[in-house]
Amino acid sequence: MLFSEIYGSYFRVVAAVLAEAAEGGLTDRRLTALVQEKAFAESALAIPASLKSGGWPLLDEKLHSVLHHKPTMPLTALQKRWLKALLSDPRIALFQPDTTGLEDVEPLYAQNTFVLFDQYADGDPYEDPNYAACFRLILNAIRDKRMLRLQFRGHTGSRHSFVCIPYQLEYSAKDDKFRLLATGKQRLYTVNLARIQSCELLGTYDPKAVTYPQRQLNELVLLLHDERNALERVLLHFSHLEKETLKLDNKLYQIKLRYDKDDETELLIRVLSFGPVLEVKAPDAFRKQLRDCIQAQIRSTLISTGI
Amino acid sequence: MAYSELIKSFERIRSYMREFYVYGFKSREEYDAKSVRSYDNERRRIESWLGGYMSFHQNASGKRVFLSVDSRRTPHNPLYKAFKAKSFTDKDITLHFYILDLLAEGGALTSKEIVDRIYDEYLSHFSGTFSFDESTVRKKLKEYEALGLLRSEKRGREVFYQRTDDMSMNLDSWCDALAFFSEENPLGVIGSFLLDKLEAPSDAFRFKHHYILHALDSDVLSELLQAINEKRAVTLAMRNLRSGYEYQRTVCPLKIYISTQTGRQYLLGYHYRGRHMAFYRLDTIKKVTIGNTEKQYDKYMVFQEKFDQHLWGVSAGPDHNLDHIVMTIRVGPGEDFIRQRLEREKRHGTVEFLDAHTCKFSADVYDASEMLPWLRTFIGRIVNLECSSKYVVETFNEDLQQMSALYGGDGDVV
Repeated sequence: MLFSEIYGSYFRVVAAVLAEAAEGGLTDRRLTALVQEKAFAESALAIPASLKSGGWPLLDEKLHSVLHHKPTMPLTALQKRWLKALLSDPRIALFQPDTTGLEDVEPLYAQNTFVLFDQYADGDPYEDPNYAACFRLILNAIRDKRMLRLQFRGHTGSRHSFVCIPYQLEYSAKDDKFRLLATGKQRLYTVNLARIQSCELLGTYDPKAVTYPQRQLNELVLLLHDERNALERVLLHFSHLEKETLKLDNKLYQIKLRYDKDDETELLIRVLSFGPVLEVKAPDAFRKQLRDCIQAQIRSTLISTGI
Repeated sequence: MAYSELIKSFERIRSYMREFYVYGFKSREEYDAKSVRSYDNERRRIESWLGGYMSFHQNASGKRVFLSVDSRRTPHNPLYKAFKAKSFTDKDITLHFYILDLLAEGGALTSKEIVDRIYDEYLSHFSGTFSFDESTVRKKLKEYEALGLLRSEKRGREVFYQRTDDMSMNLDSWCDALAFFSEENPLGVIGSFLLDKLEAPSDAFRFKHHYILHALDSDVLSELLQAINEKRAVTLAMRNLRSGYEYQRTVCPLKIYISTQTGRQYLLGYHYRGRHMAFYRLDTIKKVTIGNTEKQYDKYMVFQEKFDQHLWGVSAGPDHNLDHIVMTIRVGPGEDFIRQRLEREKRHGTVEFLDAHTCKFSADVYDASEMLPWLRTFIGRIVNLECSSKYVVETFNEDLQQMSALYGGDGDVV
């Protein structure tokens, strides 16, 4: 049973409150602060009142826990079965978790139950020992705030080497690829992990002294003509971006999307895929690129049909 | 009943969250809620859980509420919060902490012993009227046994309960894996529950092209996985998202198809009444009822494997016949990435070079009209397009003419 109060925010916050109360020194103020920090916006109206009124008789009037221990909870069968199922995912090799305790657990599902039917076919080589070793080294560097020296092949095959501060690993399910996001010399670097040939851990850095470059965001304004269920298709397709939709009339909508400037070519292709139900209104340069593609295709069609 | 930010049933909030997240252009009056008060309560709950992601748009026709999330910048799916808002009674939460505390040292107790000790060791601190009878405690113990938090052992006529802690498990070693799979796994919400147990969760990962809406269908997916695992038939209570029409289907569930390019999830199952394979979107399934074991399960799985060989997406077309499609495209000098695109994006079929600058893709699929969006991504380079389904080529060409008209016509083409 997935939807259960034992996984809920209230149980978790109350456990945190009781843990602090067990150490002594829990105050009204701290109680409210804990609830505000760990629960929902309006939880501060409900949780402290129930704990203090005896509605949930867990704290005495001096805000001491009546329990004998700090609260803990075993893993549920669902949680263990989910962890066991992950062991069949090829990407688990990158993490090498301790699997002790899962020996006799039934996996929640078989890995081949899922079919990612439109995932690209040239995903990362998770079973390549060098790839996995680089992945783990990078992960360590991110966690321990250490710099890295990377050697990798560029997309043209040329070799590069540079020192960087790694700060995130970005995964795309569509591409089935990891990319390293790193900074150095005030620039943001994105390196496909599969292109990295070797990496070396260097010294630590002071995270407070690092300014992480921000991606440049642009706004795309689209007009959507709601034919062939286009409204739902388009809005779901772009739902991972920040967006705002306005209904202009019964079958016409305006959609504003905010996208990374570096992804403009990819976005252009995605807009093209929707055909005439989606019309770019701005920016002009984006519109012009689309027009060029369409006109090239019209010319090609005229030639191939001999017109 | 007084308003609470917690909810008893997930179904209604699931529908509101979807509306706010996917559409977000409707005003309060446009929601087909039972009452505006119901709308107000659901909106207030979502705002309480996801305040930082809620936005508003005000114009002459009213205020519109929408959820806007750039999932590339968000390490944790915010929609999981809805699964952490289940309501409970005062007795539920109190018993939870009492029972797990009494059994925390590994001992085993009967339900009667637990009740006695609750009164002696906890409720004696309070002068209130809070009370439990043994049947309430016994019910909670059985519930926790079913969840796997407790195990029971019968000794003579008495049943003893004990916690299921396994000290050999090292959840901290899963820290990075949980940060990753809680987002990338179709049932990542379970990973999110586990992340909540960690002192210092990892912040190492971000996700591109990351669709988060499926989180709202996690309960449905969980039921389907159980049925698939146990090779059982299911009855699906369905609701058409556009028309609201409600109906039922009884199927043998086989696989879950997931689109990494829209986030949509589908159940592929054998539809008994129609005697064919069929896809069902998970977000249209309201309820799954697990039925009997399917004796012919392995036979249907063989059907699925054969069926999958010619599926482009999730449609078998009107008649389950194959369409043959051939697309020839131009590859300019230094444009090897086009060949790479064809190789990695094609799901079936073959790619061959006709000469140094021309590439041919061909495939046999059930429903070539599903390929139209992909074919359009090569607009500007397509030299020739042929398909045994005339509809596909005609639609492609008509759409192209419409697009040409939208973007300035063909005045400068010739």
